[in-house]
Parts: sequence; structure tokens; C-alpha cells
Amino acid sequence: MLNTLKDIVRKSSIHVCIVNCGGCNGCDVELVALLSPRYDLEQYGIYVHNNPREADVLLLTGAVTEQWVTDLKKIYDKTPEPKIVVSVGNCPVSGCIFNQEGGKVYAPASNFIPVDASIPGCPPRPTEILEAILAVGPDAIAQRGREDK
Amino acid sequence: MSSFMGYIYDFARKTWVNKFSNAHTHQRVVNKPKRFREFPTVNKKYCIACGACTASCPSPHAILLVRDKDDDEGEGWTYPVINEGACIRCGFCAEVCPTDPKTLECGENHLYEPEFNIIPSKRQYIVDDYLCIRCKKCMRTCPVGAISVVDDKMVVDPLKCIHCNECVDVCPVEGAMKAVIVDNLQDQKDLIVLVVNFLEKFIENKTDDLRSLKKDGLLQYEVPITEIWDDALKIIPDGEIAMEIIRKSINRMKIRIIDWDSDKCKKCQLCVPECPTGCIKFDEENDTIVRDVEKCLRCSICYQTCPFSVIKYFLAKFAFEENEDGDEVIHISVRNSNICNDIVVD
Amino acid sequence: MILPIGPIHPGLKEPLRLKLQTEGERVVKAEIEYGYVHRGIEKIMEGKTWQKAIYLSERVCGICSYDHTQTFAETIEKISGVEAPLRAQFLRVITNELDRIQSHLLANSTFFKCLDHETLFMQVLDMREYIMDSIELLTGNRVNMGWNVVGGVKMDADERLFKPILDNLKIVEEQLPFTRELYAEGPVVGLRSKGVGLMSKKEAIKGRAVGPIGRGSGIKYDFRQEQPTYVDHLDFKPIWRKEGDNYARNLNRFDEIPESISLIRQAIDNMPKGDYRIPVDIKTGFDTHKNEAPRGEVTYMIETNGNLIKHISIRTPSISNIDACARYMLDGVATVADAVATYASSDPCIACTERVAIVDEHGESVKKDFYEVI
Repeated sequence: MLNTLKDIVRKSSIHVCIVNCGGCNGCDVELVALLSPRYDLEQYGIYVHNNPREADVLLLTGAVTEQWVTDLKKIYDKTPEPKIVVSVGNCPVSGCIFNQEGGKVYAPASNFIPVDASIPGCPPRPTEILEAILAVGPDAIAQRGREDK
Repeated sequence: MSSFMGYIYDFARKTWVNKFSNAHTHQRVVNKPKRFREFPTVNKKYCIACGACTASCPSPHAILLVRDKDDDEGEGWTYPVINEGACIRCGFCAEVCPTDPKTLECGENHLYEPEFNIIPSKRQYIVDDYLCIRCKKCMRTCPVGAISVVDDKMVVDPLKCIHCNECVDVCPVEGAMKAVIVDNLQDQKDLIVLVVNFLEKFIENKTDDLRSLKKDGLLQYEVPITEIWDDALKIIPDGEIAMEIIRKSINRMKIRIIDWDSDKCKKCQLCVPECPTGCIKFDEENDTIVRDVEKCLRCSICYQTCPFSVIKYFLAKFAFEENEDGDEVIHISVRNSNICNDIVVD
Repeated sequence: MILPIGPIHPGLKEPLRLKLQTEGERVVKAEIEYGYVHRGIEKIMEGKTWQKAIYLSERVCGICSYDHTQTFAETIEKISGVEAPLRAQFLRVITNELDRIQSHLLANSTFFKCLDHETLFMQVLDMREYIMDSIELLTGNRVNMGWNVVGGVKMDADERLFKPILDNLKIVEEQLPFTRELYAEGPVVGLRSKGVGLMSKKEAIKGRAVGPIGRGSGIKYDFRQEQPTYVDHLDFKPIWRKEGDNYARNLNRFDEIPESISLIRQAIDNMPKGDYRIPVDIKTGFDTHKNEAPRGEVTYMIETNGNLIKHISIRTPSISNIDACARYMLDGVATVADAVATYASSDPCIACTERVAIVDEHGESVKKDFYEVI
């Protein structure tokens, strides 16, 4: 009973923190575009706060640059349980175009923190991000909440 | 104040009331325009496995050419596979794909056909007219028809060429079809000069072997490539390209060696006026004959002139091969020149 | 007291550390620490053909991605001694101005988000979506467009595409005066932006401020006035104000949008016929080229080696704007909340700035004020 109630609450109000760990900024711009009235992220109960201490979902963009090698884990540890990590764009998955000779990136991000879902694209369209977040986010967060018990 | 009035005005408008009462997400939000570049779609059956897409892709892990297993029905398909986690959706692979209809489709990019080649390449394909036997195998193999016969010569059209390297693989004469790396020609020259100087010095240092060589004798040496490898990498840092240039130059290389036994020299000075470059001089102070190695052409005139057979002349040939241990070595064979064998007086 | 803000912070979209030295609420001194998004993009470009490098130059910055490709392409055209056909130049103007509009709207919306003025934030973002639609329609992608090539543009455009773009522009044009008035005349926004983050003309010149930030402090300099395409064929007037505060900078960006819209209209009306792409034989050489990006002027220095790029260095407007912001605008801001808004008003783009890592002789990275280094 309590668990069901918690599930409902967790599903209907998700707080998101965008963590840019060294990308070209394109994915972050598309995430900002999601806030616009056209896509209206908040109608699904998702709020962008950019504060890891009150986030349920970390939206990861960028290809883990040198400074983030240590800092990414710190940010992840600061986020309260239950939490999930969704990576947006190619950079956290493969390092995109930067992961070649001369580049200073340490992709993939899953080497440093567990990544639950990823949205490919460079950058993905806002609708693609929205679909992916809605398909993964609420259920995963409810599931994670039950696991910790 | 006006911003407050703005709100009031905004709420009172009929459009706002309409929008508020009929709030829904518009269909255009999810519609993608025609030109939108999705992840490229692959039509397996058209692929000719030329590798143009992999060569052109700016993202290093985005595209891979794979080949299915052969089964009873025949050979497996070869086709590109897109890695969605790395594809940047630029559509460049669809532009460069040479097949018709296109193997890769992406937005409207695959419809776009420039009249000139847009595949980035470091190589240029050139037919060596002297070696070419006109078997036309390359012409038949070329997947895009870039090779044609002009004035009874095979010609590669650089605007059509997709740099798939199949003509080089199929060519029966080694060196007739050349894939020349065009961007660092000066470095390539420096590297070849380094190899030639090293080999000549190596052979010249074996004076005892050379002087005791019989008329029909053959000297054979093996030099590991590692001795010049560090210097070669200083000139061309890319190991693969450096190895290719060394291998190609060595297989074609012939060096003429001049050995000069100054102890036996009678100082007759007959060779001095004969030398076409004037690199042989008589040093009066030290009472010796001096040869300027830098200027010498190795033309063998001094060898033919010398009545006492002090000057000796050898030909060296080289082959690049792997020995039993798997190390890459330069195989050297040196023999006496067969010019004017009769005048050799012992 | 030193108050560190970032790298993850509600007010900042990109990672960067803002160190504010405060006395009470007043900011006495500000320092900016970079280095969170350094990817080594110039080093990757070395030894690549332009076909590959142009996609990398696009990913220097995701917001004004278009201008980087245009400047890159024009630099290589300059080295090779060719000029893109006139039709391609006009198509470039259209995309450039669309990119400028969306970037200005995004910058303003970030500022309003920092002020927590949700109405303006939403209105501006809604307008921006129409522009993004136009960009997607024309080029095939919303952010990284992949539209420019050396020698022209990738695909031709015709009436079928221009019509919806003009329709979208009309919607924006109708909505813009209302939003602008809400900002310009609104008392709440006025209190938070008028007289906040002051930078005089002298300081702007000293701090090398460019683009709308420099023009907000009275520098009458728009690099488009020197670009042949704009000078010869199109008609526009640069926007500038002399207040030098947050209000002027944002209003500048609002006022540049109608100019850009009129430029697009002129370009579409006078679109010449002919080729949109020509083959270019890349020559060996070295050249510099400038362009007016949404944030100010972008400079590319490229040395080519036949087909390949031997060396490249990029100077983006953000590096000088952020520096001017830390040195002059944030100096003496009344509250910390205003400091964040002031920082947003300077339209920072961290991805642009980070292509250089400064190291000491042992290879350890050094963090210094940029003035000490340069």
C-alpha cells in the first residue's frame, strides 16, 4: 500500500538536473527548448532544477572531459536515492566526434557512473528526448525506489 | 505598470481564452520535415563494399562495414552498419555513396549529387604507363567506372574515383597502379634519401667482402628494418605510411656501389679528366686522389678507365621480406658489374 | 567572503565556476574558472581533410554552430583564391540570420530565467521554436546543421522552402513587439536590469567586449558592415545603445531581431540564380578570416598543407565577453542574485571558449586569470 503510494508520487513528480560534462552545448540547448510552451516538459511533472541535491534524474550530456573524471562521481554521490541517470546525445555513449586522436575526452560516461538509459543523436530532437524520458523515467524511478527497500 | 496591463490584456483576448479552453499538443511538434536527417537507413542489396562511407565519416566509431556469413545460397551480403550511439547524423555517408540507387539514405542528402568527388582522401591513383600491360582488369573491377581508356592508355578520373583501392589489389603487375599519398611529398623524399644513404653506407662498410668477391660471385646480407625505424618515424610519424613508403621504395631500388682501394692506387690520374662531374680531384698536398661522394653520379666511367683495377663497381638489389622470426628485414644482394668484364686484370 | 557558484548551478546551463568575493551582499570582485569542457578540438582537426574538419568546427559551440562552419569554409575559400557563388552567399546570409535570431532569443530567455520571470521566458522560448522550425526545414537539423561546405552550401533551396520560413518569420514579427514592450516597459524587469552590471565604453574597449555586449556599451561596431555580401547587396543598420547595463544588452538583442528578419526577407526577394556549390581546389597557404557571429566576431586562422589542415586556431567572441563580464560588469553588483543575471546577460557560451589548456612546464594545468596569461 505504502509502496504503491510512493510509486505514484515518484512517478508524477520528477526533478531533473542537467550535468554538462564537456560537450558542444547543443544537447543542453535542446533540453532548454523542452521547457518551451510547445513541448512543455512540466505538464508531465518533470521539473528542471539543475541542483543535484534535489534531483531524481541526472540528465548527462557531454563527453567526460578531464576535469569531470573525478567530479562526475562526486555529483552522482550527492544525488539522493532513488536516482537514475539518463544520457542525452552521443557524447556520453561513445564520445561522438571528439573521441579520436588529439581529443581529450574519457568517454563513455558509464565507466564512471552507472547509466540507466541513453538517447542517441547529435543532438536528438526535443521530441525524441521527451519520448525517451517519458518511456524510461517514471517507471525506472519507481522501480529504483522499491529496490532500495 | 504596462507589464501588469499587458497580462490583463493578454488574458482578456479571445485567442487566449480559445487556447486555454482547447489546450493540446499540436501535431507539428512530432512531425519531422522532409529534409530532416534521421539515422541513415541501409539498403543491403545495393552495397558494393567500396568503403566510401567509412572513409568519409567524420565520427570515428559511427559506421562499420560488415560481411554476413556465407551459407548454402551463396556469399553473404556486405553492407554498412550504423552505430546509433556515435552517428552524428550529418548525412555525409549518404552523399558520398557511389551506388545507384543509393545504399545509404538520410534526409534529402542522398538525393544530392555533385558533379565532382567529395570523398576526402589522402591518396591519388595513378597508372604507370610504362608498366601497365593494358589487361583492363582494373577497368572491369572499378565499381564506379572511374577508369577508362584514353589514347590507348589507362586513365583514372580523380573526380569519379572513390579511393576503394580495388584496382590496386586486382592489378597483376606490381607497381603499375599506384596509390600515391599526395600530401607529404617532401617528407616522402626525405625518407627515401634516408633509406638509400643508410643502405649504401652499410654495403660500403663491408670492404673486405667486396674486394674478395669473385667475378660471378654474389654477396647476401639481411638488415633488420628496426635500425632505421626510429629515424623514419621522426620524418613521417604515421608508422603505417612510413612502412608502406619504405617497402615500395626498397622493392624497386637498385644501388650502384663504387669501392676505392686507395692503398693500391698508383696515382696515374687517368680518372681525373674522365670524370663527367669533376668530382675526382688530385690532392697535391697529401699526394692522394680524392672522390667527392656527394657529387659522384656512380656512372662507372672511372671504373672503366682505371688500368690497374683499383676502382671496383658493384650492383646491389634489395627486397623487403619477413624472415623466419617474423621480423621485417631488408634482403641485400650485391654482385659485380658485368660491364667490361674483360678488362679486369688481376 | 568568497562565494563559489557552479559548475552545476540552477542559474548556469554550462559548467563553469564563478568565484564571487562578497562584502555582505555586494560583489567586490569576481573570478571565472574555466576548464570543464576542454575537448582539444583544434588538435583533433589537425591533419584532417576539410570535409571532416568542418563537422568538428560545427561542434565548437552548439548555439552558434552555423557561424563556425561559415567562417571555416570562407577561410579555406580565401586560401584557395575562390569565392562562393552569389546564390550560396545569399543562402548563407539567410541561415546566418536565422541562427542569430535563435541565439539572441535563447540568450534573452536565459536572462529572464535568471530573473525568474517565467512569462517572458516562456514567450521568448515559444518564438524561438518557430525559428528552429525554419532552420530545420532549410538545413535538415535543428542545432548542428551540416549546411555549409567549402565552395557554397550543401543543398539548394527554392520557393517551396522559403514560403514556410517567411510564414514563421511573420509569426515571430507579430509576437516580438509585445514581448519587447513587456521587457522594455515592465517595472519589475526594469528594476532588476536597469543600472545593473554597468560597463562603460572605455571599459568595454579595454575588456575587448564584442557583439551585442560591446554595442550595449556604445561601441558602434558590427563586423557585418565590412562583409562584402552585406555591404554590396543588402541593407541594414547596426543596433547600439550607450547605457552599458543589462537592460541595454538585452534590448540590443531584441532590436537586432527585426533587422535580421528584414535581412532574410531581402535575401529571399533578391535571391540570384546560378550555382549553389562549386568545386574548390584546396591550395597550400595560410589565412585569417572574420565573421560576425551572434555573440560578436569569430576569427579563424588556418594553415593548409595541400588537401589537409596543418594548423588551425579559433578565436570566439565569448572568451572576451566573459572576461569583460568578470572584470567590469560583475564589479560592484548589488546582490548575488543580480550577479547571476548579469553573468547571463553577457550571453556566455562556455563550449566556445574552451579550446586551450594552459599548462606549466611539467604538464600540470594552470588556472589563471586570462589577463595574466596573455
